[in-house]
Amino acid sequence: MKQYRTMALPYIVWMAGMIVAPMLLIVLYAFTDKGNDVATIRFSLENFARFFSDQVFMSVLKRSLFIAVITTAICILCGYPIAYVIANRSEKSKLFWILLITLPTWINMLVRTYAWMGILQDEGIINHLLSLVGLGPITMIHTSFAVVLGMVYNFIPFMILQIYTSLTKMDKSYLEAASDLGANRIQSFLRVTLPLSIPGVISGITLVFLPAVSSFFIPKLLGGGQYVLIGNVIETEFLTSGDWNFGSAISLVMAIIILFSMYLTKKADTDPAANGKENA
Amino acid sequence: MKKLIALALGTAVLLSGCGGSADSDAAEKYGSATLKLYNWGEYVGENLISDFEQEFGVKVIMEYFDSNEMMYTKLQAGDAYDVLIPSDYMIERLISEDMLQTLDLSNIPNISNLAEGVKQLPYDPDNTYSVPYFWGNVGIVYNHNNVDPADVEKQGYNLLLDTDYKGKLYVYDSERDSFMMALKALGYSMNTQSESEIEEAYNWLLQMNDTMDPAYVTDEVIDGMINGNKDIAVVYSGDATTILAENEDMSFFLPAEGTNLWSDAMVVPANAENPLLAHEFINYVLTHDASYDNSETVGYSSSNQEVLDEMSGADGIYAQNEAYLPRTEYAKDEVFEDNPVLKQKLAELWIKVKASH
Repeated sequence: MKQYRTMALPYIVWMAGMIVAPMLLIVLYAFTDKGNDVATIRFSLENFARFFSDQVFMSVLKRSLFIAVITTAICILCGYPIAYVIANRSEKSKLFWILLITLPTWINMLVRTYAWMGILQDEGIINHLLSLVGLGPITMIHTSFAVVLGMVYNFIPFMILQIYTSLTKMDKSYLEAASDLGANRIQSFLRVTLPLSIPGVISGITLVFLPAVSSFFIPKLLGGGQYVLIGNVIETEFLTSGDWNFGSAISLVMAIIILFSMYLTKKADTDPAANGKENA
Repeated sequence: MKKLIALALGTAVLLSGCGGSADSDAAEKYGSATLKLYNWGEYVGENLISDFEQEFGVKVIMEYFDSNEMMYTKLQAGDAYDVLIPSDYMIERLISEDMLQTLDLSNIPNISNLAEGVKQLPYDPDNTYSVPYFWGNVGIVYNHNNVDPADVEKQGYNLLLDTDYKGKLYVYDSERDSFMMALKALGYSMNTQSESEIEEAYNWLLQMNDTMDPAYVTDEVIDGMINGNKDIAVVYSGDATTILAENEDMSFFLPAEGTNLWSDAMVVPANAENPLLAHEFINYVLTHDASYDNSETVGYSSSNQEVLDEMSGADGIYAQNEAYLPRTEYAKDEVFEDNPVLKQKLAELWIKVKASH
């Protein structure tokens, strides 16, 4: 056992340098005020006060959380049936469909989002087709619809894969037992399959909600400059205003919100799964 | 298939072989045969780089930035480039922070080609650190079929508050340009430091945001206006040149309240690895042919007087284009000054304008 522990050493060094150190820097920046150099550090809570006391930032935060929740909900509603259907196909066909689902993720997300710009634009593909049958044009770009669409499109593979994995891992004999005991298909789905696949849904939620709440280029490209989410505010603070302290403070607030939501989902995960096993 | 790969490999070897001999000459002369150029996207003539590489037997590595601030952040992080092309106020900041090398003008004889409009610019009057690349104004492009030219002339920037044109405008998504327009509309200097004037400008922008439903864009504005998606846009004169050249329904207007007289110039950062070649490149850009290529491809106003005259002259490609030749010597036009504190404040106010609806 001991010799294995020393083998983990490089990994610990890596973690310390690449994950812990930057996080500590963000915390340090967040709790200090502007114009610090290494010699003089002045701690302050001003950055947080500025963020929470500002009506505009609060509404941006609300909008970001709202968009992320909507995106996650749509990903579950569309992703679950897709994962369910794929999981119940033959081995060969499963591989093919999963390949199709993951195929787009081989291409850079930015490039795919640019492609959506071309599709949704006023003179884009959809409106061009509509004009051929004498309809439109419909404004789609620079709307909430476009932003949510872009996010769902980019993040739904994570949801499908997570649910698919938990569904395929499921022991099929539970279903046989359920039907032996007289459950019909709907009952056995609701009382066996669904509870057992909740862990997949939960990790899918984490994988979709996290990037959705902090994404800044999808709202920028598909929502236009007027569509400001919290990620865009952080980006502006770092790149345009150069106020790293305030930017770090907002990042830290987001990190705490995300940690808290992960804690909540984790809690939700342990409860129904246990119930599910009892029911089964 | 195998044959094809062999052929490709052979060509590659051949090419690198050719390059090799030229490289060694250039390397001897300049210390290294590579020039690292950090430039705006789509901001160079289509043949300029390859011509320069061929003529001097060197290799140019070009990277792109999309804001002065992004460039500054990378430079601060220690990235080394030989030539940068930032804007006026950013050059002022780089000079004040000792991040630039002084230029040896004896190695840049073509400096005598500089256009009158870019001589003795306030941030670097003697070209100690910088040599202008492109320059221009910021003005209003409008569709003269849908917008009454009389309205444009009468209202100037306040056209952007005229609810007759609600939902028909593009505004450039940058705090400097939007506050410039608001401050000028209110009759103030765009370099103001007065809290109350900035507050008024902020409210002007809020009113625009709330009542006019503007689309905030950056480079998309060019295609958008060429396709006639909207009727009004506040744009850089160089982009206006391109728009006017492609869509004859569009006109260009410089408001009487004044505007931003801007310039982007070539500078050599203090940590440049190949300053000799950097001087050679700066000198090359000022030649007639290179500058013509630049201005023809990009549409921005040349910093070479001869090219400027030729292109805007009767037989020039921009003869009928009212956006190409920048307005100079107009008292209300100003050059941006560097003021990091003000800039930061405006950046934050601007994101609040955009977020408030």
